[in-house]
Order: sequence, then C-alpha cells, then structure tokens
Amino acid sequence: MKVVKSEFLSNNKPLIRSLIRMLSESYQYVSVLGTDTKGKSYRVTKTGIEVNDSLLVERGFVVRIHNGVNYSEYSFNEIDETKLNSIVENIKLKLNKVDKEISVNSYEVVEEDEINHSFYGEVGINPEDISSEVILKDLIEIKDAALTCSELVVNFQVTFNTFHISKLYMSNKKDLEQSYLLGEGYLLSIARRDEKTKYFFKTYSGLRGYELISDLKRDYKEIVDQSVKLLDAKAVQPGEYDVICAPDITGLIAHEAFGHGVEMDMFVKGRAKGAEYIGKQVASSLTTMHDGAAAAKHMSSYLFDDEGTIGTDTIVIQNGILKNGLSDLLSALKLGTTPTGNGKRHSFERKAYARMTNTFFEAGKDKLEDMLASIKKGYLLEGLYSGMEDPKNWGIQCIALLGREIIDGKLTGNLISPVVMTGFVPDLLESISMVSGTVELGGAGYCGKGYKELVKTSNGGPYIKAKVRLG
Amino acid sequence: MLDRIKQILNNNNINGYKIYENKIEANELFFIKKNVDMDRAKNVHHFKVTVYVDYEDKGDKFKGSASIKIHPTMGDEEIKKAIDEAAFAAKFVKNPYYPLVKPSSHYKKEGVSDFSKKNLPYWMNEITKAIYKNDTEEKGGINSCEIFLNKIDSHIVTSEGIDVQAVSFEGMIEFITTWKEDSEEIELYRCINCSDFNPEELSQEVTDMITIAKEKAVAKNTPVMDQCTVLLTREAVIDFFHFYYTRSNAATVYSGSSTWKIGDQIQGESVKGDYITMTIDPFMKNSINSGSFDEDGFPLETVKIIEEGVLKRYIADTRYAYYLNVEPTGSIKNMIISGGSHTVNELKKGTYLETAAFSDFTVDMITGDFYGEIRLAWYFDGKNTIPVTGGSISGNIAELQQELYLSKELQKDNFFEGPKVVKLLNVTVAGIQ
Repeated sequence: MKVVKSEFLSNNKPLIRSLIRMLSESYQYVSVLGTDTKGKSYRVTKTGIEVNDSLLVERGFVVRIHNGVNYSEYSFNEIDETKLNSIVENIKLKLNKVDKEISVNSYEVVEEDEINHSFYGEVGINPEDISSEVILKDLIEIKDAALTCSELVVNFQVTFNTFHISKLYMSNKKDLEQSYLLGEGYLLSIARRDEKTKYFFKTYSGLRGYELISDLKRDYKEIVDQSVKLLDAKAVQPGEYDVICAPDITGLIAHEAFGHGVEMDMFVKGRAKGAEYIGKQVASSLTTMHDGAAAAKHMSSYLFDDEGTIGTDTIVIQNGILKNGLSDLLSALKLGTTPTGNGKRHSFERKAYARMTNTFFEAGKDKLEDMLASIKKGYLLEGLYSGMEDPKNWGIQCIALLGREIIDGKLTGNLISPVVMTGFVPDLLESISMVSGTVELGGAGYCGKGYKELVKTSNGGPYIKAKVRLG
Repeated sequence: MLDRIKQILNNNNINGYKIYENKIEANELFFIKKNVDMDRAKNVHHFKVTVYVDYEDKGDKFKGSASIKIHPTMGDEEIKKAIDEAAFAAKFVKNPYYPLVKPSSHYKKEGVSDFSKKNLPYWMNEITKAIYKNDTEEKGGINSCEIFLNKIDSHIVTSEGIDVQAVSFEGMIEFITTWKEDSEEIELYRCINCSDFNPEELSQEVTDMITIAKEKAVAKNTPVMDQCTVLLTREAVIDFFHFYYTRSNAATVYSGSSTWKIGDQIQGESVKGDYITMTIDPFMKNSINSGSFDEDGFPLETVKIIEEGVLKRYIADTRYAYYLNVEPTGSIKNMIISGGSHTVNELKKGTYLETAAFSDFTVDMITGDFYGEIRLAWYFDGKNTIPVTGGSISGNIAELQQELYLSKELQKDNFFEGPKVVKLLNVTVAGIQ
C-alpha cells in the first residue's frame, strides 16, 4: 500500500513559492524545508496505559538563505498569505545580528541542479487504518500474557510507535516531496528476586506498519525468560576477551566507532581523526561498511535529506580501508566534496548536521557455529543498551545488556551483566577475524549528536568475532 | 487559536482537558573556533492538548486520557478530528481514576531573569564574549561552540479553571575544548544550561574545561586494578544523585521500578559513611527547570524528600500522589543534595581515582548499575598523582551506598546543587594492560 502525501504541504506549495520569490529579491540563495509528520505512541504496562502523539510529530518550515557571507536559517510554523511579509521581515530583523568584532566564516553560494521529484513509500498494514481500540487491545493482551509467564516479573511494557513522515523541499531550482511510514515496537520485562532487579528488552523497527505487532506477539515469552535469567548474571571480571557480537552490537560498533567518526561536519571543525585516515587501513580486511539512505530499506531510507540532497549509498570502509565520509551540504561545500545526502535535522526547528542514515557492516562467509567453536573463553554479546562516540580520539564506549559465556567453543548458559565494552576503535576493528553471512538491521530509539539533535537511524551487520576490553 | 481549541473541546463529549500552549522565540549561533559559522532564529507556537474521559467498569472508576499536538496551521475541522480521535482513544485507556488539579491562589512569584531585560540578540553577543573571554591559550582552547537562547511563553488552561502563564528563558551552550602537546590533539565535551546570565561562571567553566583538556593531553593509560576507591566529580555527581531522585518518584514507585517506601532507610540499616539528604526546590536560581507551577498547573513549593538517609516524602504529581495516597509535591525537577562531613582534601586519602570526564557516565535507574569510559581521571597511588585516560569504572549504587562520603564543598549546575565530590569504595575499574 502506498503511503499518502501531506495535503498540508502540497496545498501550501504556492505560498512557499511566493516566499522564495520574495526572499530571492534580497538573497542569492533561498531554500525552504517543510515538514508534516504524524504518528501515535501507544504504551501499555502493568500499571498504566499511555496514548500520545509520537515524538517526531511536527508541522513547520525552515528557510535557509545565503546572507552574503554565509548561511542563516529561520524556523517558523505559522503561515498564510497575510503572514508572508512578516516572515520576510523577521528574517531580516532577527538574523545576522552578531557584533561586528566577532568574525564570521564565509561560504560560497550553493549551485543547484534543476530537479522535480517525489517519493511515496510502501507499507504493509497502515496503522492509521487501525483503531486505537484494536491497537490497545492487542498490546494489553501481550502484556497480560507476559505477566503470567513468571512470578518474578514485576512489570512488563509493550510499546508501539508510528511515524508518518512527510517533507517538502523547495528552492528556485528544486521541488521535492516525500512521504513514508516507519513503525517501531518495544518489549521490556522487569524481573525482581529479593532486592535484585534486572530487565531485558528487545526492539522492532523498519519501514513497517501494523504487521510489526506479530513480532511482539511472537517474542514476549522470550523477553520474560531472559529478564528472569539475568537475575543470576554475574559481573564480568575486567579484562580483554574474544567476543562474538550479535548483529545489534555489531551495528552499535559500526555506529559509534566509525559512523560518528566520519560525519564530515566534524572534518570541517577538525574534530575527526578519520579525516587523516582516508585511503588508509583502519580495520581488518574482512570489514566493509556502508551508510546511506539508499544503502538499505530501513529507518532512514528517504529520497532526499533535510537540505534537499538526494540520498546515496556511501561505502565508508572497503576491505578495511577508510574510503569516504558522510556529509551534509554545507560541509561538502566547505570541503570541496560531493554531498552524500546525510544532512538531517532533529526537527524543522533545528540546524542540519551531517548524520548517519542506515549504517552497517557487510556480510562475510563464516557460520555462527564455527565462530562460537573458535573461542576458548569469551562471550557472545547481545542487547544494545547505549553507546557514545569519540570521533577525535577514537575511543569507544558500548554497553550491552548481557554477555553469554563461551567456554571451549560452547555456550555454557552463564550470563554476565552489565557489559561495558571500551577500547581504541582501530584496535577493535582490526581484531575482527570472523564475519557471519547474514546482515540484520535495527533502528528503534534515536541517535544523538553529543547529547542532542535526536534523529532516526538504523544500524546493523552480521555476527562478528573480535577482541575487546570488557568491564 | 486557543479560544478555537477551547470551543472545540467544550463541544466534545469528554470529562476534562488540559491545554499547554507555548510560544518560543529563539536565537542560535554556531561557531568554529572563534568564527560564526551559521546563525539561526526561530519563532514557533505549539499547543499540546490532553483530553480526559471518566468511566466505570464493574463498579471501579477509571480515567482515560490521550495527548495530541495541535499545530497553529490546523483548521477547525482538522483540530476537531484530532480531538475526536484522542477522545475515542482515551475511552480504552483503562487507568485508575484520579482527580485533575484544581485552581489555586498560592502561586509564588519567581525571580526575574536578566535575560528579560534586553532582547535575545544582545544576550547572544554577551554570552559569546563570556564564553570566549578565557580562550587565550596557544596549545588549546575552544574548537567549536553552539549557543542557544530561547524565550518561552508558557500558558496552561484546564477544564477545571486553571489559567496560569509564565515567561522563562533557556540558555544552552555546548562547546568542545581541545589541547595538543607533542602527541595528538585531544578533545572534551561540555554542555552548560542556564536560565540567567552569569558571565563569570561561563568564563570559569571554559577555563576549567581547557585545564581538563590540558591534563588529558598528557594522561597515561588507566592502570590495571580490579577495584579502587573512586571520587566522582562534576557531571557524574549529578547523574549519580539522579538515581535517588528517580527512586523517590511516586510514578516509579507505583510502576514497581522503585521499592522505596516512606520511612525507609534507603541507604540500608548499617550506614558507615555520610547520609543523603535531598530537597527539591522549584525556585532554584539559574535553573531551566524552575517555575511556580508544573505542567498540570499545580502550585509548587520547596519540599524535603530524603533526610539523613530516610525517605520522608515521594516526589509526586497529583495523579500518582492520589494513587499512593500521599500529599502531592507537584512535578519539581530541581534537586539539592546536602554536603557531607569531610572536605575534598580530607576525602583524598589512600589510593584513589578521581574522575573528571567520562565518554558518557551512565546510571541505570532500574538496577542501580553505573558505568563510564574514563576520558580523564587522576590516579593517586599513595605517592604520586597522575592523569589517566581509557578503561572504565562500573559498580552498583545499591551495593556501594552503605559507605559513601560527600564533600562539604558544593557545586551548582543548572538544576542541581550538591557535593563537589562523592567518594565510593570498592568500585570496579577496568584498566589498560
């Protein structure tokens, strides 16, 4: 089923065209991004139910102008014919007001090619066609069934979020429109024995509609079982170990280790070590890594980014050699490179930065059972909890929900938790010695730049074997 | 617009509503080194509407609710459709009944922010000057900086007759400091949030971060040691005490995530170190969380939550206070932790690791586990103090809180006022071989 476009954006195109025409009298470059995102968030727990608009819901516009020296932007969310003059006045009144003694960087004017294009995604079961009564009934049934699985479970949470994203990008040369639908679900089980509390969760995401609910119905018991088993998990003895990373942890490494490290606005600021390593070996020759809106069909697959650049498939690392970075439009302009369609905004109210889209390691040829068999003492790491980038110094912090003990090539059934993986990125990537044959992507949750600017991304890869420091 | 929304809500078959309106005017500056790379401004208007539906099932009373965002470009039909859908969903939200907040005449007056005295572009320039004032070193300094200043007009209107308004300011300054000695350049991250202008504090924070960057540039690998006494400082202290804030919250208790009960000795029965005392203060100066009412329009006052290690009150909005049958405090997000029994110098005894910066210090609010990769710490081996980097620390607050020590000296950072140093014993340290 085709995702429908935003009537609001389509209806306002003549007004946006007028605004661009008015601003073009004063500025050499003018573009407008319009957004109209709808969506619902349903959350059911043992102790309460919540129904809200989902986090990305918004409707508004951001104007970008070349002010004669560099670029300025103005975000607003009220528009009609009577307001066009006041928008133009505000842009002239509020922007470019820094003291004269503060110096400014200069940017060339963007040269755009003429393009008129649109994209409307596909979805299985459109969640907008399912009533909130049906959705809540399904989620409550899953929660109730999960709570009967173990007396040790003190709460169980089921979440289903939808995002119907519609965007419009217009300039004197571009006229782009897109609409697509994302779905995500979470299952979270909290178990307690005496004073010890542990939890386990799993997420589900993609260019998916209400069909995603079948995954939640299938997996709730496994989530409960895992949370209960974690009550017997031990802390890891700090040290270096051979590990196998499940696809979600492989994705976390791809994201934190090299994804953030090749965001090219960091190159402009001199904040990325990666800039010095283009064309050099940074990982094992078994390692090839992609990013791009066109590299996979998942949470960040779009026709154009938030600066009107068409999405691409970028090979970041090829057989261990660092090849390319990911760039927004202005970083590419500054660096003299081609923009890769990675200019993304938290919302129409925020600046665009170079951001990841769908980031993943390519598949290899190894079998998981051979990878397990190759480890004398180590762990299989699963369950993405969090990570933090360090593009300048290539440190890495990844936290996994659990590690399964491997002794003499076999899983013993013993668990460690929590698991903090730290290290130096090239050491970790160069230690990759086996890579399994199937890539899995996931993208629930949000990616930040530092601690803000949350955007949707997906990350993943195959199972990989590596040597890491655990603590 | 507000009247249109109210009219549509009043014509709907619901039992109550809450409208949260805010208008935000903002200026933003993005610097690379000392140069402005981009400037931005915004002027936006938002409405968040919550509808409530009361009903009974098998003799029990329930209150369903659903929240939606209303955009100022929505026409009447579109608003009505969104509200109808929310009202329909609320019928299936089977939450136990709770009363909505009633109007009050007890709203206290807030202090006035300096930011209200001139326009935003003026303050953007003043903040810029304060931030760059001490960026004078040759080997390092500010690599990049982002400055945001928002003026927020908030307005809450409810079906119960609440109609309260406030103007507040939110400043955010995010900057990266770098330093280069003979080896490669290093960097560190810092984010300052404020609601008032304090140029000395801003300049001093930049100086502190440059000093920390300078130390990181010469830091050695964190040595291998299984366990060590750890002195948490700076932002990690705030994250550490957030565990106590979250565990004291009525919503967390009601959901079963926290097992704390009023009267509990939350640090255990045999505490050897300092006791924790926590107060929540809605009027804390220079905090973006300060205000005289919460998002329900409930009037706020200062409340002591934990006294000498004993939980005295839950932090509770009206709904969860009703569920737990306790007095509501309203939702207050400023936290004061009382200082401890020792000075910072007195806490620095024996072998210890004093942390200054982590990649991301994480505290799991459900399990009490904490962890962080060390970007800079000072290791004192009994004789010498050396800056160290790499590796990680980890532990569990519930297991370590029987013997923790708090400094007498205090720090203030946005919504937090509390000890400069928290001393924890037997923390797991994963060093580098």
